[in-house]
Amino acid sequence: MKIRSVIVITVFFAAAIAVNFLPRSAAQQRDRFSHSTTAHKKQDCASCHKIPTSNWLSARGFPDVAQFPGHVACASCHRQDFFVGNKPAFCAGCHTNAGPRSAPLFPFPVRSRSHEFATIFPHNVHQDVIARTRRGDAEVAVAHFVNASFRKLTDDPPKFNNCAICHETASSLPKFEPRMPAGQAPIAGDNFTPSAKFFKTMPSGHASCFECHYQGLEPVATNCAGCHRLTQPYFESAVVKRYSLKFDHSAVNDKGDLVHTRDCMTCHVRISGNGDLKTMKDADVPIMSCMSCHNHENDLKIELDKRAASKPFQCSYCHTAAIGALPAPPSHEK
Amino acid sequence: MPAPQKPQTLQRNFGNNSAARRLCVSAVVLFTLTCALQLAAQSTGVLEVNGRIKIEGKQERLKRKRFYLFRGGLAENKSLIDRIRAAEFVSRDCFYCRMNASPEFRSWLKAEDCESPFCREITAEDAAKVPEFKAAVEKGSRQYAKKPALAREWLTTNLSPQLRDGFYLQRKKAIDGLLAGMKPLQSGMTDSVSVKAIFIDIPIKPAAGKSTETFLISNLAPFEIGTKSYVWACEVEIGAEKKAVRALPVPESGKKADKCEVFVRDILACDGQGCAVK
Repeated sequence: MKIRSVIVITVFFAAAIAVNFLPRSAAQQRDRFSHSTTAHKKQDCASCHKIPTSNWLSARGFPDVAQFPGHVACASCHRQDFFVGNKPAFCAGCHTNAGPRSAPLFPFPVRSRSHEFATIFPHNVHQDVIARTRRGDAEVAVAHFVNASFRKLTDDPPKFNNCAICHETASSLPKFEPRMPAGQAPIAGDNFTPSAKFFKTMPSGHASCFECHYQGLEPVATNCAGCHRLTQPYFESAVVKRYSLKFDHSAVNDKGDLVHTRDCMTCHVRISGNGDLKTMKDADVPIMSCMSCHNHENDLKIELDKRAASKPFQCSYCHTAAIGALPAPPSHEK
Repeated sequence: MPAPQKPQTLQRNFGNNSAARRLCVSAVVLFTLTCALQLAAQSTGVLEVNGRIKIEGKQERLKRKRFYLFRGGLAENKSLIDRIRAAEFVSRDCFYCRMNASPEFRSWLKAEDCESPFCREITAEDAAKVPEFKAAVEKGSRQYAKKPALAREWLTTNLSPQLRDGFYLQRKKAIDGLLAGMKPLQSGMTDSVSVKAIFIDIPIKPAAGKSTETFLISNLAPFEIGTKSYVWACEVEIGAEKKAVRALPVPESGKKADKCEVFVRDILACDGQGCAVK
């Protein structure tokens, strides 16, 4: 009886101690930091994030937010969470090894964690800002922004320079897949593989934006909400999705001359009026842009005619089998 | 025997529920059908604005110019036309003149017909020649001491606000004033090669017996060409059947352009003392 009592008391105390080591709130769960909590939403971004952080030079090469906020930012509300057990899970939000001794920080931001902010980039505003008064015929759209990545393209066709400030011809093949219309599943078929030069790059991080928006020009670096909106957590996909995977921006003709030498906006007609890409429901290049040139035999027209005559016919001039076997949308029938 | 009453009641209730359910389902189907029919009935059109214009026999190409599309014609948009007529835009030259920009700065803009310093690359030579650029680089060199090359690469971050984006902002403010809360249906820009602004997915609601609807296309903010500025407000009929094409007429002296209001004004230019007609 006495032994049993001792065991019960020991187990009780052990459990009581163990409870202290269990996570009591989301704040004590590894990787669970959320900007969306009511308390965090009330905070100004600058109350935690310093701009620039002290490590900007080594981490980025330009003034940037390149590190987690310091202990002070968390301690005012989460002081007790620092002292839960020997290895507080709270510390593992930023440190690679939770513990009382200083441990290295994860690279900021942690790419494997879900994103909580969407980036709003108004193409229409930027198109207006880089517009020129020039009307002469001799020139083509020449470069605009002062840009770290700016190169004078003497050999390349200069007509894309406007957009090429941010979107350059890709040097390595990105991950890609067909962009499927809503509710459609891809249909297996050909093994067409585009090359890197089919694609254009997209800016990531603050590097491109801060060249003009670091200070002075709104939204400035300290105005996070000027570009970022809190969203449901999501994992950023590096996969480029295209309706027309066979379109080659750098295609050349028999003589080796570039074929697609027009201004980007000649085809990307929806872009110049767009304030947020997420609101764009359809392709930014409508088929009518393609049809202005590719409306001859052996290209779109003949394929559309064949498609109208025989449903099993698969369009392959622009599309891979995943898209080419689907019914032609109304936009193609005009 | 009271026992059979219960099933009867249940049956009756079930019968009532069934009728109600049928009614609900019918209403939902009817509503869906109506919506589908409405969607099917809403057709869309395409408009192409041709940015090639002729001024005194010389062809000009309006590259990278923004146009706004409004529902209704000149009569329906009379208040907007009146505001455009009354509006006074400050010319690029006058704006920078009033901002006390140096002659070198204004020459740099003029050399490539730029509206702002974001227009083209500011070379090391430019940064040495133009006092405003030079000052910005010096300020940046102190600020980005750890990375001196940033001072020139990020030159615009140290320019004065008026010279940096003042012209764009005052234009934007003036356009917002003209719109006075109106929301254009769409806006689009001419490209620099074909010099056309293409508007697609324009929802068309033709009046009974008509296959097209009247829209208004305008640049709102004047385009500076030579010594004059131009604002167009032109009607265009857009239908679902074929692409509408709208040219921008330049009225000859004393003549009025067809279905168009074209406001042509002399551009005020900076002459060192102030702004005057060129």
